[in-house]
Amino acid sequence: MQWRQHWDRLSPQLVIWPPLLVSCAYVVLFSAWTTWVSFTRSTLLPEYSWAGFRNYSAMLATRNWQIAYTNLFIYGICFVVLTMASGLLLAVLLDQRIRGENVFRTIYLYPIALSFVVTGTVWAWLLNPTIGLQKLMHDLGWSSFRFEWLIDRNLAIYTIVIAGVWHASGFSMALFLAGLRSVDADLLKAAQIDGAGPWRTYRRVVFPTIGPIFIAVLVMLLQFAIKTYDLVVALTAGGPGLASTLPTVVVYDFMFQRGELAKGSAAAVMLLASLTVVLLPYAGYRIWQQRKAAARV
Amino acid sequence: MMNKLRAQIIAGDPPAASQLKGPEIAAWSKIGAVVDLDAQVKEAGYEAVVPAELVRLSKPHGHWIALPIQAYRINTLFISKKAADRVGVTKLPTTWAEFNAIADKMKAAGITPVANGGLKWDDGMKWEIALCGISPDAYRKAVMQLDDKTLKGPEVLAAFRQFRKLGEWSDPGAAGQHYSTFIARYMKGEMGMLLMGGWAQGVFKHAGFQFSDYLIGPAPQDDGKIAFDLNSDEFILWQKKQPEFQEGQKLLAKIVMSKDFGPMYSQITGSIPVRTDTDLSAEGFSDGQREAAKAMAEAVKNNRVVLSLGHNMAQPNQITAAMIDVLTEFVHDNRITPEEGQKRLAEAVDNVR
Repeated sequence: MQWRQHWDRLSPQLVIWPPLLVSCAYVVLFSAWTTWVSFTRSTLLPEYSWAGFRNYSAMLATRNWQIAYTNLFIYGICFVVLTMASGLLLAVLLDQRIRGENVFRTIYLYPIALSFVVTGTVWAWLLNPTIGLQKLMHDLGWSSFRFEWLIDRNLAIYTIVIAGVWHASGFSMALFLAGLRSVDADLLKAAQIDGAGPWRTYRRVVFPTIGPIFIAVLVMLLQFAIKTYDLVVALTAGGPGLASTLPTVVVYDFMFQRGELAKGSAAAVMLLASLTVVLLPYAGYRIWQQRKAAARV
Repeated sequence: MMNKLRAQIIAGDPPAASQLKGPEIAAWSKIGAVVDLDAQVKEAGYEAVVPAELVRLSKPHGHWIALPIQAYRINTLFISKKAADRVGVTKLPTTWAEFNAIADKMKAAGITPVANGGLKWDDGMKWEIALCGISPDAYRKAVMQLDDKTLKGPEVLAAFRQFRKLGEWSDPGAAGQHYSTFIARYMKGEMGMLLMGGWAQGVFKHAGFQFSDYLIGPAPQDDGKIAFDLNSDEFILWQKKQPEFQEGQKLLAKIVMSKDFGPMYSQITGSIPVRTDTDLSAEGFSDGQREAAKAMAEAVKNNRVVLSLGHNMAQPNQITAAMIDVLTEFVHDNRITPEEGQKRLAEAVDNVR
């Protein structure tokens, strides 16, 4: 029986460690390598002659990077706020014990099953003024209808927000719905007995109890936003001009199309740094929460 | 792009052959061992029948390391027959002034004059066709030699002005669109003129359109002489140890250089065979291809061949990309004046030079 005991002790370790090591090596090693390359003079292939911060200052000075980073802020904020809001709204509506809930849930979840390329292409057709929505309205007789965001250099980035929100709100709805369903029924009953209306119950009882879900959705959507690439390529190709380009597109452009591995890596490292900026407050929040829980005990 | 090639070279196992073009041939040949083709080229007598510009690109360090497989003329103009009939146009414009007059006429008739798309390379190409049509010499100095004085000179400014017009005559929804999106409307006569390399013929043909559906010929050339904005695809062969690969490479090189290869390949793609001694009278060739081939031979003779910017023939990718960034921003933003656009282009070139 002894081997059996050994095995029981060993098997969880065997399951946990190899994948963990592999993924750590994959993430940490390659991030470190990219960081290293970003300090070299690499062009077509990696080479290891020291270049200092030259690639970083060169990248920061390019218009591509400046436009892309401004866009990341606009897109990131709009995408996260709107996706959370629409996801929460859908979840609350579905939570009303309606008939055919499964059907609606499937419909709302469908977009996330589509690839970004498909999403981007379809929305590019819908939003294109000469073939899409605007043309439809004109053909229907509403000839003053205008919707030209896709070709307006100041508004093109918001078309990516629209497509992104459409794509991800089903996903955030699913998470919120799971949260809403996990709220203790006794709590809801207590609120009902105390005479709270539905709006007040949600605001005062339900939402505070699912606080951690908000954080989880926020963090997941933020990293979705930061790594968005294919959606832009399919929807606007970064245009008109460079108006809707995002940092990921710039990284790809420099690394693989221009053969500037070092500069592309510098851009990638700066992107990674911005991801850390997002994740650090989250980590801090978690630690604070744990401390609070520990103090309560 | 080229990620697989890069990975294979790093891993020490490059493919037997891959497609490269322009100055990238020189750049990539520095990082991987390539097959020296001098002996085979000599045996085939190939060097004498290929345009000098392509010879220069194919032997960057004095030895043949790449083989051109087809050539395209970038400065080619296609006019939709139906649109032309509606405004009474029977022949192609020979100067930009004539082009602009036809475009105005089309616009007045409710036709979108320019049928190009709005992707980066398409934008770069419109500008380059404008400049080449205004002055091939200025093109050579500004784009191929990055001469600062010419970049800030009057020809480049005139090219920016013409480029702005081309942009304004395009479909308002062209931003981010591939030119092929518009082919249906173009053939119906709702759009008028397309500035595109010769490959559009191949695309039209495979989409089921006839040669009689459009007029084709050289893009406007203000000095009235023939100029040829060249794009060409080439094969590069990487050194392999295995004898069966070496045999295959020899065979591939032999086929590509043979006289029969051009007709076979170019009839499918709409390109021009690179061998200037190819007979294009066969039925599979179009009049457009015959005319372009003649133009290439003529331009080679008179030193009027320039290399395409938008298709990575004139400069290494990082310089091309920096220039095209400026061009694509300019054409999609009417608030940037041609003077400002020209200034930005010169600055962008300075930053990557």
